[in-house]
Amino acid sequence: MEEPRIGVYICWCGSNIAKMVDVQDVAKFIAKLPGVIIARDYKYMCSDPGQDMVVKDIKEFKLNRVVVSACSPRIHELTFRKALENAGLNPYMFEMANIREQDSWVHENRAEATHKAKSLVAAAVYRVKHHEALDKRTVDINPATLIIGGGIAGMSAALEIADAGKKVFLIEKSSELGGNLTRVDLTFPYLYSAEYILNPIITQVKKHPNISLFMNTTIEEVYGYVGNFETTLKNQNGKDLQLKFGNVIVATGLKPFDPAVIPEYNYGKLPDVVTSHEFERLVSNGQIVTKAGNIPKNIAIIHCVGSRNPKYHPYCSRTCCLTALKYSNQIRSALPDANIFQLYADMRTMGKGCEELYTRTSRQGVIFLMFDQKHDLPRVRKADINESCNMIIELNELLSGETIEIPADLVILMVNMEAHDDSAQVAHAVGVSKCGNDFYIEKHPKLDPVATTTDGVYIAGTCQSPKHIPDSIAQAKAAAARILATIKVASVNVEVTTAFVNEDICCGCQTCIKVCPYSAISYLVDKKVSFVNDILCKGCGTCGSACPTGAIRSRHFTDQQILSEIEGILQFEIQEAVL
Amino acid sequence: MSFRPTIISFLCNWCSYTGADLAGTSRMKYASNIRVIRVMCSGRIDPTFVLKALREGADGVLICGCHPGDCHYHEGNYKCMRRFYLLQKYLEQMGIDKNRIRLEWVSASEGKRFAEVVNSMTETIKKLGPCVVRDTMEKLN
Repeated sequence: MEEPRIGVYICWCGSNIAKMVDVQDVAKFIAKLPGVIIARDYKYMCSDPGQDMVVKDIKEFKLNRVVVSACSPRIHELTFRKALENAGLNPYMFEMANIREQDSWVHENRAEATHKAKSLVAAAVYRVKHHEALDKRTVDINPATLIIGGGIAGMSAALEIADAGKKVFLIEKSSELGGNLTRVDLTFPYLYSAEYILNPIITQVKKHPNISLFMNTTIEEVYGYVGNFETTLKNQNGKDLQLKFGNVIVATGLKPFDPAVIPEYNYGKLPDVVTSHEFERLVSNGQIVTKAGNIPKNIAIIHCVGSRNPKYHPYCSRTCCLTALKYSNQIRSALPDANIFQLYADMRTMGKGCEELYTRTSRQGVIFLMFDQKHDLPRVRKADINESCNMIIELNELLSGETIEIPADLVILMVNMEAHDDSAQVAHAVGVSKCGNDFYIEKHPKLDPVATTTDGVYIAGTCQSPKHIPDSIAQAKAAAARILATIKVASVNVEVTTAFVNEDICCGCQTCIKVCPYSAISYLVDKKVSFVNDILCKGCGTCGSACPTGAIRSRHFTDQQILSEIEGILQFEIQEAVL
Repeated sequence: MSFRPTIISFLCNWCSYTGADLAGTSRMKYASNIRVIRVMCSGRIDPTFVLKALREGADGVLICGCHPGDCHYHEGNYKCMRRFYLLQKYLEQMGIDKNRIRLEWVSASEGKRFAEVVNSMTETIKKLGPCVVRDTMEKLN
């Protein structure tokens, strides 16, 4: 091994790190560690001058390894690896110590945080000594794209890619295209017909020469990696069909919450308590009537059903307030004399043209009543025989502070939107992660809301979180644009941190083959050793920890690298304890 | 001076490390005794790493991975779990309190849970006191 010449850079991140960590003290301490040639602190390491400093130092001091101690490697590891490359160094000769997300932002004692920073940077210095240059692997991008979900998001992305002349496999688990939008009559805020929006898109998708449609089809497992994925679909005849594609868009949407679990609303018990989705059906059928076929005189719309309540779902479904206002407009034009009550928790009408819809609606003689969504839901009950309405809703109205009863012949529950039951299964198949609410997690909540943590897999539409139609379409087209860009470049660098078998040590026990989740390891009978298929290996390292002889090396997470990280931390801690 | 434990923590890249980052982004506060080592998957955590940590002077080891069923690599966390329980048995036979090592599932959205786990682990180790493995080994050598 060449003599390590390490450059260490401690980032202030403005005051984000410097406020809680004495960065100069850390740099001073680190400079004394063996192998460290230069240790500096700087305001913003990720800025151009920061990166230039690294590049310049590499050349000037002939550094062969670099440690940057800054934010999470999940944010800037790639940035600095690129800087190393620019200086002619292998990008894997780099290690990051996370002293922001996992230090300065989570601790309140400056001395302790500084101590911890030293420990973490020491660990990185110890580790980086054992880093080895890894060759980049460039792979070709298969220009076809798999899109899962034939709703408005999936179809929009499909058209964008297909119109650019690239092949799309569009998979839909139901028998119709259009997703949730097929169950909508008019859209807010401009009351356009959903059908008029949807039908031309469906027609285009169906007849597009570059789109292969697979209806009534679900996805079981996607193999491979960015640029080179493949899956096997079963068609209706039970025949296997193999697809190969370079990128994936997950656009599986969401589904309505079942309000039967909320006792206050008596859904399923009172026939005229309906969900927003059932009401859409009434409206598209052309008549707003009760179950018995009567014209309702009093219509109550209850907001936030299953939303923003820790008992059901903590999040806001985003579209319901506006849908409820849309209903007011539809009801007012169909039944000019009906009493319309909006029972809301908070009116949330952000978005272009949306607050205007609220203003317009509030001038139409609609009565708005506010309730406490977290602690005190309105109670819907059957009216007495001598009352002139079907049902009575009792609520503690927040603005007046009074308990009131309102008559209702029809109650519309604005139900929450939740993740599909099979969201976990799809997540598994394509390798995306779920957040606590079972929606899919984007690569970065702000900087990259379209990609996922799996390269080549993108998310679009409401499978990420509830969204308006334009937001879904925007995300879908963004995903499509990203994919078209990778297709244009035609090749991509993939992670080379796969496992590798040292044939001299391998005893042929095949333990690794049993633990590999990707069937990436096979047994070479003639040599009596295991062999890792680089293409299938995703670098989890499970085989490395199972291998009894240490023959398997998890590149960039080798035993030696991890053990030296442990050593770096503990030697520092013990030294400090003695002092 | 009161006992300040050193806890080595292995976090999987996809769930727990991201969860720990989220605790930071959300400015949650927790005990500073934890030293995180990132691995791609909890399945990568070789029992040797844990033993090495205890041998070299760690007072406790915290392992966090994706919740069962949520592993980015399908089942690495199950592999980790199997090894973990075996390792606890082994530690007991060596006269090391099995609570010095802990396995927890922390998802990418559970920043708060990560902070709670760290605090609770720190409390546990504080109660157990310093781990004497390293000192004993030094004497034996």
